Amino acid sequence: MNLLDLALLFMVFAMVPCVYRTIMGPTIPDRVIAVDAMTTVIVVMLGVYSFVQGSVFFMDVALVLSIISFVGTVTISKYLDEGVVL
Amino acid sequence: MKRYLLYSIPLALLWCFVHGDVTILNFLFGLVLGPFVIRPFKSLYKFDKEVSFKDATARIPKEIKYFVILIIEIAKASIAVGKVVIQPKIDIKPGIIAVPIDSKTNLGITAIANTITLTPGTLTLDVSDDRSVLYVHCIDASDPDDIRESIRNDLEKYTLEAFE
Amino acid sequence: MSEISTVLDILSNIVLIIGLIFVFLGMLGLLRLPDVYNRMHATTKIGTLGAFCVMLSILLKVGFTPMGVKALTVGLFLLLTAPIAAHMIGRAAHRHGVKLCKESIIDEYGKSYK
Repeated sequence: MNLLDLALLFMVFAMVPCVYRTIMGPTIPDRVIAVDAMTTVIVVMLGVYSFVQGSVFFMDVALVLSIISFVGTVTISKYLDEGVVL
Repeated sequence: MKRYLLYSIPLALLWCFVHGDVTILNFLFGLVLGPFVIRPFKSLYKFDKEVSFKDATARIPKEIKYFVILIIEIAKASIAVGKVVIQPKIDIKPGIIAVPIDSKTNLGITAIANTITLTPGTLTLDVSDDRSVLYVHCIDASDPDDIRESIRNDLEKYTLEAFE
Repeated sequence: MSEISTVLDILSNIVLIIGLIFVFLGMLGLLRLPDVYNRMHATTKIGTLGAFCVMLSILLKVGFTPMGVKALTVGLFLLLTAPIAAHMIGRAAHRHGVKLCKESIIDEYGKSYK
């Protein structure tokens, strides 16, 4: 049990408010930013896990996940704003 | 031709960083791949404007200075919002205020909006139709004139130096 | 030589702890603050800086190997795209009709469209 394992555990605790806000959020934008914040936490976890495992490939997963999160957020907010996506 | 080479350099740097090893050979390979990406997205680049290597290289120190100032401001902003979050009882006065800006180009407005979002207690919501007013959400809007003054004097100077 | 690696190790551990605390504070702000706009303050600023700090500590641990360079890329990408995402959600939320919380004292945006 060293610092990096503790870091992974701590990030799991940090994900609990995001799940709460995703389920209970009063409006749709609340849920969108909760999912966005959850993606940030998962990216941090993937970075730390990549160092723990000594493998580069989890860092690629983190990069792709952050790109998908950004595109998804922009798409949903454009849909909320104008009613069409493209 | 010169234009393609100039626009390929950031793409080649991005290729090096995503690929993982930053070497001269890899950079040259990215430089070869660059025009194949630029050609289909030609309408996104400003092909009618005159470009030169001298202007592009002269702007680099100012951009580095801008990034250093930006990171210091982000650290201050995070500590300020963190203090608000860990108070036992949350006592804030949020509000949306209008901030007039001087910049006219697309890149300048984007840079100013991003900088405002990452500085203490402010978050850009929208730009008006005639591109002269930014609408900014503040976590502490008890003194709107003070916020307008600080944005105009501190941030806009460095941003305009770096991006126009 | 070993002194330098020890110093780098301690420095990266300190940066890692700072980043983890910032991410946790951001998520706590998501739970506690009253409305959408204030919650965006918490997640976009504190969460992004925390993620950047964690990626910086990985870069300090492994040096300029492929893993460190990719970690730096992920951190810079988060730092660049978080404000844009926040800006778009805020605009969409205000036009979608989400009210500001009842503590708000001023709203100069509401009368500028419609």
